[in-house]
Amino acid sequence: MKDDTSGVTESADDTTDFGYSRVNRADKAGLVRGVFDSVASRYDLMNDLMSGGIHRLWKRFTIELSAARPGQTILDIAGGTGDLAAKFSRLVGRDGTVILADINAAMLEVGRDRLLDKGASGNVEVVQADAQYLPFRNDSIDCITIAFGLRNVTDKALALASMLRVLKPGGRLLVLEFSKPTSPMLAKLYDQYSFQILPAMGRLIAQDADSYRYLAESIRKHPDQEVLLEMMEDAGFVDCRYHNMTGGIVAVHVGIKA
Amino acid sequence: MIRHDPALLSTALAAAERALNGALALAPTSQQALDTLAGTVLGIEVTTLDLVAYLEVVSGEELRLMAHCETPTAAFVRGSLEDFAALATSDDPAATLINSDIEIEGSSASLIALQHIVAGMEVDWEAPIVDALGDVAGHQLAETLRGIFRWGANASASLKRQLSEYLLEEGRLTPPKAELEYFYESVQTLSLKVERLQAKVQRLIARAAERERKPL
Repeated sequence: MKDDTSGVTESADDTTDFGYSRVNRADKAGLVRGVFDSVASRYDLMNDLMSGGIHRLWKRFTIELSAARPGQTILDIAGGTGDLAAKFSRLVGRDGTVILADINAAMLEVGRDRLLDKGASGNVEVVQADAQYLPFRNDSIDCITIAFGLRNVTDKALALASMLRVLKPGGRLLVLEFSKPTSPMLAKLYDQYSFQILPAMGRLIAQDADSYRYLAESIRKHPDQEVLLEMMEDAGFVDCRYHNMTGGIVAVHVGIKA
Repeated sequence: MIRHDPALLSTALAAAERALNGALALAPTSQQALDTLAGTVLGIEVTTLDLVAYLEVVSGEELRLMAHCETPTAAFVRGSLEDFAALATSDDPAATLINSDIEIEGSSASLIALQHIVAGMEVDWEAPIVDALGDVAGHQLAETLRGIFRWGANASASLKRQLSEYLLEEGRLTPPKAELEYFYESVQTLSLKVERLQAKVQRLIARAAERERKPL
């Protein structure tokens, strides 16, 4: 097991992290599902409030990095409420396909409704899928995005391997995820915000402080920039790099399938 | 090429994109003109801000500003903020491009066409005002605003003309445009000649050094 400062707590035994708690690996998916079932209906509102709307800018830059073109097939894993998928739907056009995938049925239901409301239809498919065992053919996807989802996956290495398998050679993976602030001052402020203000907001708006406490804890347990970069390289991705955003609170990692 | 925090840059670009598309929605003639440039991507580097951004003409109705773009650019322009401000407001963009320090890679045609469209954009501000206030009150307010803007534009044009006349004719503080262009041309010619002379001197030095090395 690696040390906690790296944020990695994958272990050889049958347990894994769920926020700051240790749970059986087999139970984690169910527990994460419970969290997202609880917040699904107000997920976008909470994201806007928690990030001050900045999550839209993080996603905007991720979309630019995808270099999505008409006719391409894009897979948005942990696509939740479908905000990335809606943008991709316009970029790939009628000849392309966007697959909105999420392990959580409640999130997918909200996502499907939102996509229809935004007029994104005809080139969008909705699939309930586990990132670790993607139900798609080998070499079939041009670009995969996973925004704020990888930290909830039980076995990240398995998920990265599964993504590599379904990507076409030359295809790219974009992982947008909370990371480690680069300035110690910002890190302190961010800690205060995450563990004091965030659960309070969760309690007020979603009547669910525990789920938002889990979100804050899971962010701290997630691999930092360098460790995730290494994990992507270990999985077989090449030309891996990352861009820190908002002082490293969030980072977007890019990897290419050779 | 990302030099700033992408989130910060995206904030500025998203705001500018929204403003541009908002104005474009109220300018149907510009939409038609812009449609001819659909698919064109321009790269812009503002050296004073150390900032690189891309502008894509998605369609006549939509412009997209990006911090990162992998689509080949029709033109990539590099210059200072002052140079770009001068270009955006110039009556003669081709002359401004030639005489300024703006560097262009690719074709300048699309850049000049876009500058013409932006400079000639006639925004119909009446439409949203009428939508909000109704036909009568909206039209009255729009007329009043139009009058104020017209007066402002006339006053500004008149001030510009008078100031230019004073600087040129009365104060003799600045040279006329033709003289300035001739001066720029001469400087450019001189710069080329100096470069050629420098190359010639380098060649002679190299030849002399070679002769010294060779035994007689």
